[in-house]
Amino acid sequence: MHGAAVVVGVGESTYYKRGGAPESEFQLACSAIRNAVDDAGLTMRDIDGVVSYMERNEPVRLSAALGMGDLAWTAQTFGGGGNGAGAAVTLADAAISAGYARCVVAFRSLAQGQFGRYGQSGRARRSRGVGAFTVPYGIQTPAQICAMQTRRFMYEHGVSQDSLAEVVLASYAHAQHNPRAIRYGTPLTRDEYHASRWIAEPLHLYDCCPENDGAAAIVVTTPERARDLRREPVAIVAGAHGLEHRDGVGAFGEAHFPTAHHRHVGRQLWQRAGVKPDDIPVAQLYENFTGPVLMALTEMGFCAPGEIDDFVADGNLQWPSGRLPINTSGGNLGEAYIHGFGNVVEAVRQVRGESTCQVQGVELSLSVSGPGYAPGSAVLFGRA
Amino acid sequence: MGALPPDWGVPELTDANRAWFTSGALAVQQCGSCATLIHPPEEVCHACGSMSFGTKVLSPRGTVHSFTVVHYAANRALADSVPYTVVLVSLDDAPELRVVGNIEGPVDIGMPVVPYWEERTADDGTVVLLPQWRAASGT
Repeated sequence: MHGAAVVVGVGESTYYKRGGAPESEFQLACSAIRNAVDDAGLTMRDIDGVVSYMERNEPVRLSAALGMGDLAWTAQTFGGGGNGAGAAVTLADAAISAGYARCVVAFRSLAQGQFGRYGQSGRARRSRGVGAFTVPYGIQTPAQICAMQTRRFMYEHGVSQDSLAEVVLASYAHAQHNPRAIRYGTPLTRDEYHASRWIAEPLHLYDCCPENDGAAAIVVTTPERARDLRREPVAIVAGAHGLEHRDGVGAFGEAHFPTAHHRHVGRQLWQRAGVKPDDIPVAQLYENFTGPVLMALTEMGFCAPGEIDDFVADGNLQWPSGRLPINTSGGNLGEAYIHGFGNVVEAVRQVRGESTCQVQGVELSLSVSGPGYAPGSAVLFGRA
Repeated sequence: MGALPPDWGVPELTDANRAWFTSGALAVQQCGSCATLIHPPEEVCHACGSMSFGTKVLSPRGTVHSFTVVHYAANRALADSVPYTVVLVSLDDAPELRVVGNIEGPVDIGMPVVPYWEERTADDGTVVLLPQWRAASGT
């Protein structure tokens, strides 16, 4: 384990349904960062780096408003949408490991009430670029794209609709333990899942992540700096980020279809970490839609695609007794959809022993970012 | 007629996509140097790096590779069109190429399909011929 950088703080804003936040997206970002820096026992003047992915709120405005120190490192993941969440953590790790910065905040804020909704498209009387090959046919949103991927994945590997349900039921079951979760107090049954309306077959309403307002952040620093701080540090054991040649090419023109874009990510991650999927007791897998979560599980090496029905069946993804509890905060489906950064925060909490669905004796805790988009990423946390 | 409004999403024509959207044939971009077929068209060949291209007309036959029935209209202009079915078609002459289109009626993966062309017209008078799909006869 390389252990060159550690996480010493985590924080969130309050999470809201879309349009429910009384604060602006920028204010939500500032609240989450403040909470993470406070949690670390640092002052804002200690922060000399800011990283994110697909983020609107820029370092100039954030550092001015929050009173950060002089910034030495500002970076964002290049492409990949929500599959860049883990990569943002590796950008912080890289800055710390290379000595470019001492205390880096990694965060994401998203207010789909204030800004556009991911689940709706703009008016499209004309289409251009790669969109000219999909928009005229009514393919514009992530749900529609992931539906096409999921249908083919289910066909090739004999995956049942019940396996999609297992992902949803795990998130909702875990959210019932987490007072931060938007679905706290709103359980879901398998029958309710199957009875819910279609969005784009084979995706039901509950297969699709909600649209939310909120922000989440972590603070990354050196093991030396962490020694003086009040929280037990959590190691960034390994991160991985990238794509294979012709992954993610638009209009379904990629070399391998369908893919979650985690084959190359998985190979890199396990090789760097020197561990294997069987060593992982708990994982957070970004649920944009349930089908891509199953694809990500197989591409990260937890099981062969043809074994996925057995791997997830009978509550095997659920805490406390499942073989691999996933999305233990409720995840994107049950806690909040903050473009997957809530999953990163929860992965850190599992190592700290602070999850509301705490797996016992966690030495390694995995976060896999948004499947279906490229480049992809994942990050493995562990005891420092 | 396709399932979507006749003025919906009319492609802006470029040198790279004009043959595909105006010829009324499956005129796929082909690298002028190494003859690799590329879809959707790109500005640089992914196989050899060439920037010169022609087109190759492929036979009008394909196989359904995946599909989705869209029930939720992500744009209110499509509210009267749902549910509509979108297919991803693998071309029989070049199975590695996948083409998006609409289809009406029952559909399943592996089903043989043939194209027809739907005319759409933009505000500025641009007319395109979009490949659409139907079950191959005799199936």
